[in-house]
Amino acid sequence: MKNYFNYLCIFLLVLSLNSCTDDDSQTTTTNFVVAFEQPSIQLSNETNSNTIDLVFSEPAPQEGMITIQTESSNATYNQDFATIPEAVNGNLEISFEAGDEAASFQLEQLSEIIEGEEKSITFSITAVSIPETVFSGNTNLVVNLFESAALGGNLAPEVGGPNQPNQVYIDLSSQQETVIQRDAWDLAFYSGNTNRVVLNYSTQMAVGKTDFYNISEVNESNVAQLIPQISIGNFNPANMEYIDHPSGDLGQTAMDVVSENNEENPVYILNLGNEVGNSTPQLGSVDVDGEAKGLIKIRVLQNNEAYILQYADVNETDYTEIEINKSQGFNYTFFNFEQASTVIIEPEKNKWDINFTVFTNEIMGAGSYMFTDFVLTNRQAEVMAYQVLTSEVNYEEFNLTNIDESNFELDQRSIGSNWRQGGGPGQAPSLREDRFFIIKDTDGNYYKLRFTALVSEIGERGNPAFEYSLVE
Amino acid sequence: MKKYYLFLMIICVYSSYAQKEIKQKANNTWKENIKEVVVTGQINPQSVKKSVYEVKVINRKTIENLAANNLADVLNQSLNINIIPNTSTGKSSVNLFGLDGQYFKILIDNIPMVNDEGMGNMADLTQINLDDVERIEIVEGAMGVEYGANAVSGIINIITKKTTKKNWEIIPFIQEESIGNEYNLSNQGRHIQSIKIGKNINEKWYTNAVFTRNDFNGFLNEQKGKNHPFNDGLRGHEWLPKLQNNLKALVNYRGKVNAFYKFEYFNEDVNRYSREVRTNFNSATQTSNPSASDEYFFSERMIHHLNLNGKFHKKTHFNISLSYQQQVRDIEQFTYRILPQERINVERTEFESRKVFFTRGTLNDFIKLSNINIQSGYELNLIDGFSSPMSNPLSGDQVNRSLNSYDVFTTAEVKATDRLSFRPGARLMLTNKFNPLLAASFTTKYIFKNGLEVRGILGRAPRTPNYDELYTFFVDSNHDVRGNEALQPEIGTSSFLHLKKKFWFNDYNSSWQTKLSSWYIDVKDRIELTVTNNTPLQFQYNNIDLFRTWGIENSHQIQHHNFGFNLGISLRGISQVLDSSNFNDDFLYTIQANANLTYKIPKWKTNLALYYKYNGPQYQFIQEQNEAGETEFRRGKLNPFSWFDASIRKSFLNQNLDVSLGARNLLDVTRVNTTAAEGGAHSEAASNLLLGYGRSFFLRIQYNLNF
Repeated sequence: MKNYFNYLCIFLLVLSLNSCTDDDSQTTTTNFVVAFEQPSIQLSNETNSNTIDLVFSEPAPQEGMITIQTESSNATYNQDFATIPEAVNGNLEISFEAGDEAASFQLEQLSEIIEGEEKSITFSITAVSIPETVFSGNTNLVVNLFESAALGGNLAPEVGGPNQPNQVYIDLSSQQETVIQRDAWDLAFYSGNTNRVVLNYSTQMAVGKTDFYNISEVNESNVAQLIPQISIGNFNPANMEYIDHPSGDLGQTAMDVVSENNEENPVYILNLGNEVGNSTPQLGSVDVDGEAKGLIKIRVLQNNEAYILQYADVNETDYTEIEINKSQGFNYTFFNFEQASTVIIEPEKNKWDINFTVFTNEIMGAGSYMFTDFVLTNRQAEVMAYQVLTSEVNYEEFNLTNIDESNFELDQRSIGSNWRQGGGPGQAPSLREDRFFIIKDTDGNYYKLRFTALVSEIGERGNPAFEYSLVE
Repeated sequence: MKKYYLFLMIICVYSSYAQKEIKQKANNTWKENIKEVVVTGQINPQSVKKSVYEVKVINRKTIENLAANNLADVLNQSLNINIIPNTSTGKSSVNLFGLDGQYFKILIDNIPMVNDEGMGNMADLTQINLDDVERIEIVEGAMGVEYGANAVSGIINIITKKTTKKNWEIIPFIQEESIGNEYNLSNQGRHIQSIKIGKNINEKWYTNAVFTRNDFNGFLNEQKGKNHPFNDGLRGHEWLPKLQNNLKALVNYRGKVNAFYKFEYFNEDVNRYSREVRTNFNSATQTSNPSASDEYFFSERMIHHLNLNGKFHKKTHFNISLSYQQQVRDIEQFTYRILPQERINVERTEFESRKVFFTRGTLNDFIKLSNINIQSGYELNLIDGFSSPMSNPLSGDQVNRSLNSYDVFTTAEVKATDRLSFRPGARLMLTNKFNPLLAASFTTKYIFKNGLEVRGILGRAPRTPNYDELYTFFVDSNHDVRGNEALQPEIGTSSFLHLKKKFWFNDYNSSWQTKLSSWYIDVKDRIELTVTNNTPLQFQYNNIDLFRTWGIENSHQIQHHNFGFNLGISLRGISQVLDSSNFNDDFLYTIQANANLTYKIPKWKTNLALYYKYNGPQYQFIQEQNEAGETEFRRGKLNPFSWFDASIRKSFLNQNLDVSLGARNLLDVTRVNTTAAEGGAHSEAASNLLLGYGRSFFLRIQYNLNF
């Protein structure tokens, strides 16, 4: 009998252990925050109705009401502006449902913006009807009805996910974002004082100079040695000569300066790179290079202030010739071979500061290498930037006295890929949270900028986000 | 509270017996059966001494002394073997003579055991439970004739228990272990519960079943687990947690024809929490909702094995095994929101799998010759493999592949004289993927008058290419790395010489056995990633390199009354001829030594055991670029480290209750510094290698209910 008793004891012991292995779950409670999406916006005469967005830190735990106070300076309610819903005694009330992650109201602009009149409105969140609410972040929104540099903002450039199909040009002071498909252009002809031609740095293009000065004479057999060299990547230190110098220095483009003496302008073999990738890679990876577009031959000549572009398939003796004019107010005139025409890509020279793009960079000692999630500064408009580590001074505390002019770099890669960890096979790149960047924009404003995301919440690539703020 | 409950239960078990008198009686089980019978590589089971192969045996007692629950717990103490844990997959693989698990085959009851990456080879040692195991037989060197492809560096044959003397045998045990200094009852440490039930139905029929649950909670070390919300690299585990359930059943029949049917079901959950945390900072609200990309792996293994063996025409032995085995590893990928502790975007897919139909049959003694025993047989392996793109970061597509091999083999044991015997053998392997392959072996044994046993063993076996080597495809504008479907198996050849002598003293109460072994192994047509084109740079796997290793080992076994003492030392050198790149083929040497001491105190029914193994510095050539940009070779070094385990085992209550208390890794080895790791284009070379989880303690309580 005792035998069985013992057995029972052991068996109970086994059971008792089995029952202990559940995790001790304890959910951390978080605070609920309601904030304006942007700290400041600027109205223009182009639109009269503006949506003002409010964002929540997490889905609303219950339905509720946000109270927003309106104060204006030189502007009058119902004369210069109005809101939907209407403000009562200077207070707006906006309701939301349980589970909502955002709310908004409409701001109507009733009077024209007139230069010299500094009208502004300040909206402040004064109450949220949920007990756990904490006031944090953009509790105020300044709306300027005159032209002024933005105080800052939060932007999520539309790079477009893991194929990174887009280039996104951003003007910080006006919070403007221009999105173009990155393979919408092939060559960029400089509009400034020198005659330089730049390759699309986002589509893995490369170019090699032949010994020929007559485009019809070139064919695959007489440039057979050259052709396999004209590509990027693959850890070949010698292949840097086939791409423009990644610093953005126009003195070091892959193609020579276009000579006034057209006899001196050689024929080039141009590797058109790749289309934008279109497969869906594994979560955390990118697929940016699609089908190869092949090779063509080109020659660029000068005609007074314009460029003449000759191009043909490598083995063709006939060629196409097109005149390309410089574009006043822009860095470049862009050309697309498939459309056989110029295209508009960049905003005006002084209307963009940084550009999110795929980029052909250099790895020291290993030659050209394609980078994703790259950020260029507008070098031709003398936008400059430098990096600050939070171990020196943190983002919140950085002010005008911290700016060191000597740190600014003209190199268009001064943000580059420095904001993220590299990653590699089996290891995804990740955001670096120990640094931020100081940018001197086209208008001479100083902004501090820090990246807040490289990927989406679930880890999908090509979903960057950043916040920036005027350094004062 | 739960801790107290545990101790209360233990006390309850003890106290109920406290007053019962313990009858002293002469106990035969203390006397170990000196004659160890082995089956590995044998035509008929026979003693170690008669075997033409040199078979190392790890017996049940050693397994118990080490409180070994799986194969990874026990092999670290063996010479020439290293266990390499992989902290990112949770697997532990074997490295024997410097060759990894692809060259080494694991068998259960003489047939290979499936895993998610291979059949016999590529095994995860932590997935092989030892609770129903009688002994483990290890044969070093190529065993291609007996065990086919991938038995290059050696094989392990795990022999399970198939009989009992009792009518009923009910053996539950629990084992509680700390992992380093981490232990509690809920989510730290290792908790094992097991129950084995055996029943002799009658003289012919025996059946048993074993269930074991192994809850290994991983090793945190400096890490802070899954709910750590900051991106400081401290989230997750140093050593991945895993939970395993294992159910095995056996029906054994003894008659004119013997038969057994074995069934095994195994499952395992491995949780991998990413070290990288995405802060998801919301600038507008200045709040964050951190998330991470995590993975759970679910493995499921099923094995059916039916064996028939016996005699017909009075003399001819036959032995047929039929087996269906499969192991499927699924991956569940999800985003974990750390603060609300919720899983979103959950996706589960098959990660890797192998499904195998296996059969082997042998006939021997079918020709009547007094001094020649011929065995002929066939072996069929039909392996369906699957590998998802997730299993190889350098591959774009999933792989579905059938590898079928149809082998015939024959081997003969020739007793030239009483002292001299030979054993030639050959196996022809026909597959649906490769050119026909030939494995061969030739073994000679001579016993001198003074009892000195000399064995010379030559063997040859191929190693089949793995999926990465065949199917890698990583081509983009920056890279070009390709597998090669035209690869042929590598060919391994080994030669061993063993000299062994046993001395008896003290009226056969004491003995000393000493052994001197030397070996040379080479692997030709070794598969390596090679540069196939310089501009643009392209890589592909090719059969081009050569691996060579030789070594010498001396070991001693001393038995004196209740003392057992083993001591061994081995020196081995490895040289690699890398036609894939510039190379330095100097031999690099390393020393290993092991010692163990066991002491029995019959009066107290107590066993004491100490196990120690020294792993000397291990060297490897590392290719580096110097400041001038030239490629140089540097001799990288993995620092020496030692394993030291100790245990005390005591029987109570007429040997109905066994309690073991012990410590693993007493020298507290965790990360071992190394300069022998090569960095990649995207990563710095690792400066240390995680080999152990530090000093840990175990308590094992087993109850033997026999009636």
